[in-house]
Amino acid sequence: METAVKSSVDVKAHGAQLIDGNQTFHSVTEKISQITEAGTPKMWYVGFGISVLLLLMGFSMIGYLIWEGTGIWGLNNPVGWGWAIVNFVWWVGIGHAGTLISAILFLFRQRWRTSINRFAEAMTIFAVMCAGLFPAIHVGRIWMAYYMFPLPNQMAMWPNFRSPLLWDVFAVSTYFTVSLLFWYVGLVPDLATLRDRAKSMFRKKIMGIFSLGWRGGNRQWQHYELAYLLLAGLATPLVLSVHSIVSTDFATSILPGWHTTIFPPYFVAGAIFSGFAMVMTLGIIARKIFNLEEFITIKHLERMNIIMLLTGMMVGYAYSCEFFIAWYSGNEYETFTFMNRAFGPYAWAYWTMIFCNVVVPQAFWFKKLRTNIPFMFVATILINIGMWFERFVIVATSLSRDFLPSSWDYYSPTVFDVGIYVGSFGLFFTMFFLFIRFLPFISMTEVKGVLPQADPHNYKH
Amino acid sequence: MEFDSLNKKLEEKGSNGKLALILGIIGLAASAFGYFQAEEQFYFSYLTAFFFWGSIALGSLFFTMVKHLTNATWSVVLRRISEAFMAFLPLMVIFFIPIIFGMKQLYHWTDVEAVKHDALLTKKAGYLNTTFFYIRSAVYLIVWTVLARVLYKASVRQDTEGHSEALDKKIKGTSAAGIILFALTLTYAAFDWLMSLDPHWFSTIYGVYIFGGAFLAAICSITLVALSLESKGILEGVITTEHHHDLGKMMFAFTVFWSYIAFSQFFLIWYANIPEETIWFLHRVEGSWKTVTLLLVYGHFLVPFLLLMPRFVKRRSTALKVMAIWILFMHWVDLYWNVLPNFSKHGMHFHWLDLSTMLGIGGIFVWHFWKTYRANSPVPVNDPKLSASIEFTNF
Amino acid sequence: MAKKENKVYGILAEFDNPAELLHAAEKVRDAGYKRFDCHSPFPIHGMDEAMGLKRSPLGWMVGFMGMTGAGLGTLMQWWMNAVDYKLVISGKPFFSYPAYVPVTFGVGVLFAALTAVFGMFHLNRLPMLHHPVYYSDNFGKVTDDGFMISVEATDPKFDAQATKSFFESIGAKSVELLQPE
Repeated sequence: METAVKSSVDVKAHGAQLIDGNQTFHSVTEKISQITEAGTPKMWYVGFGISVLLLLMGFSMIGYLIWEGTGIWGLNNPVGWGWAIVNFVWWVGIGHAGTLISAILFLFRQRWRTSINRFAEAMTIFAVMCAGLFPAIHVGRIWMAYYMFPLPNQMAMWPNFRSPLLWDVFAVSTYFTVSLLFWYVGLVPDLATLRDRAKSMFRKKIMGIFSLGWRGGNRQWQHYELAYLLLAGLATPLVLSVHSIVSTDFATSILPGWHTTIFPPYFVAGAIFSGFAMVMTLGIIARKIFNLEEFITIKHLERMNIIMLLTGMMVGYAYSCEFFIAWYSGNEYETFTFMNRAFGPYAWAYWTMIFCNVVVPQAFWFKKLRTNIPFMFVATILINIGMWFERFVIVATSLSRDFLPSSWDYYSPTVFDVGIYVGSFGLFFTMFFLFIRFLPFISMTEVKGVLPQADPHNYKH
Repeated sequence: MEFDSLNKKLEEKGSNGKLALILGIIGLAASAFGYFQAEEQFYFSYLTAFFFWGSIALGSLFFTMVKHLTNATWSVVLRRISEAFMAFLPLMVIFFIPIIFGMKQLYHWTDVEAVKHDALLTKKAGYLNTTFFYIRSAVYLIVWTVLARVLYKASVRQDTEGHSEALDKKIKGTSAAGIILFALTLTYAAFDWLMSLDPHWFSTIYGVYIFGGAFLAAICSITLVALSLESKGILEGVITTEHHHDLGKMMFAFTVFWSYIAFSQFFLIWYANIPEETIWFLHRVEGSWKTVTLLLVYGHFLVPFLLLMPRFVKRRSTALKVMAIWILFMHWVDLYWNVLPNFSKHGMHFHWLDLSTMLGIGGIFVWHFWKTYRANSPVPVNDPKLSASIEFTNF
Repeated sequence: MAKKENKVYGILAEFDNPAELLHAAEKVRDAGYKRFDCHSPFPIHGMDEAMGLKRSPLGWMVGFMGMTGAGLGTLMQWWMNAVDYKLVISGKPFFSYPAYVPVTFGVGVLFAALTAVFGMFHLNRLPMLHHPVYYSDNFGKVTDDGFMISVEATDPKFDAQATKSFFESIGAKSVELLQPE
């Protein structure tokens, strides 16, 4: 039957290239479902084991942090906000690519997204979990965290809604909820596939419950598709707002280097940039481990590289704009801050940032390099290092040289700063390994939908 | 599909090109007369009008380049419209000339004596000086002219020569480099021509803000032309409701984008409350300017935001036409609100020159548009994506 | 219960590919069936028209709830910061509405997104863990590579034999009655 379909399909050129290897509907189901059904590859145990160890290390350090207080970090008098906020912004930023790939590329009808959107969305959720960790622990007295929510309490106090930190609470929790819903809605039809393939009663029941009794009827698809479209339409401004709000943590202050009007869109561009880099890093690993070269093709990787080139240039634009206006403003504090960034004690961090974020992506102008997998793997990691340094540069340079020269100080992290950051990778990868092992990490439904034989117009009558 | 007859049809039905030209000449003549009446007012009104029509051409240039780069299918039938708009860019060189004569009136920093006594302006003199300003302006105008010409010619060549890999590569290469040049030139043109009207004030987002408005205006203009072509029965069945719907979506999206950028700028300045920045907004809530500010909040954001949200508005020609005209009007209000408070400082005073300069440049702009549009096939006939674009439907 | 065992709940017909399903749907619609559904592993473009479905009202629900959420968000901030617990922060007014935009937006989006998901569940009557189509052993193919049309017995035009032969006449690969085994 499959061959009969294929021979009757009048394949249109642009539809055929999204997925390689002459897939049929059934082969898509097989290839992706069997990852969750077959035995576990050895590599998986290795990766998962390392992740769990890092996670345990990170959480024991957090335990110690809660016991001792934030003094175990490298914070000092002018630099009262260190790695915790840097990591928070970095992780939230990484999360944004997932939403971008899912929602914005969906709205722009970029159908190539179907191979990568599922695990990008999962990445969003796990990255936001990691991000949420840091503000929660950096408040010091974590048992007072409920202050941040508008809960009635015996002191008859309400949170201060004029504080950017409170906006963060709302933005990040809304973002987490919406991303989770979006991801789950996308998963429902695939879970139904797993349900119908399940051999054991237990698996059938679990998948049956989570797939909600999905029947794939068009009366369901109709509402489902609109819901998906609406969620994409909501997630798009949401992702812009979340990182804009994160940027206001800095930009509403009066600190030179923090207070500048381009911050909201600049942070959004940076977030997308680093998030794509992370999707690439994970995608390259996953396609290797599970032999999914036909689904995540070199074309997918190339397109993502082009987006990184574009967003990398946006970030570069913001850097240069900030620098120019710092001089143009004629404000000596602004000018000093930026000269200090580039040539002061943190110059090494600044130039690392410039190299990783502005110089490295320029390589993607060349087709040879943007289709070279080892090169892009290294480049994506460099970009993520660069984006971490971007936030570090913003936080550390501005704080360490504040208005009063007598209080200037240099900030260096302690082993606990580093350890908890590394531990957050443990959390992230633990979740990620569980996800790729137990859930279909490429959307079967959507991949089938972009196969040429899915379009009724491609059949001859 | 046969497109050759359409050009003829376009001519027969008339496109008001001639009428526009006559109105344009009347407008320019009236403005010239106004120049002798109220010289300073003339320059400020003229700058607003110049930038308004220029921004549509610039936004269209961006539209064309982005659609080339993303290999967009749906918009292929609209490409000629955006190309004919961007073809105005070379004319901007001519329309820039009056600004050269008005430097003294427009830009406070050209006053050497005042700069001497102003510590801030003395610091900025390395950038804000007449010679460098002319050099920069020349660079912007040349870059835009070259980009518009190269892209337009390559696109027309596709009509006659047919699609080829080499041509595609050329178009894509120009667009890729063009996007970068565009971002830089538009940013600095916004800084130079508009932001430096108030030479003490600065805002890093200003370039993005001006871009947001320009692109929105371009989308609205493209929509208006598409609707008018359809209502005249030209390109019926080629530009369809599906394309309106997508243009409507873009109008909605960029209304939100503009609002987001405008709000970011206001919000951060309002929150930090530093006098050197807040002064710009303070001028704009003084006297009757406050009404204009509120008009922007409601008219440029809230009204289009709410009205463009439902699907049926985007699919109904009349509704969409009204929205496009309204947003274009708001775009003018936005530019007016950026420029004129530097002249009438304590409140808005509408002058007939505001209208006549708009009419003057606008008449030429519209005439030139139809002339360019008619010169070639109304859709890129040899674009391999054309048939897919015609058949395109929304989800 | 025993009597119900042989009751026919509907009929399930399988077709070869998306195109045939689409054409069959048009024929089923034209034949006047109301309670039928076309099952496929992915949404098929043009199926809503082929089945004669009205547009989903979900958009209006989401729009309305989004506005409601934004309104409630503003109200909450106004009441908490400008009425119930007034606190001067950086010299700003108690009701400093620009500062309330981020949270207002967030709450609005949250309401809208929850409505999109749970509204969709409601319209689709999910979760519904049992349905007559599951009586077919073949139905599992729908989530893999099967294209099927089901007609429920509650449809006024439904008649087990007539409907069965109707499906056979429009080119169904196989037709089966949905009844408990």
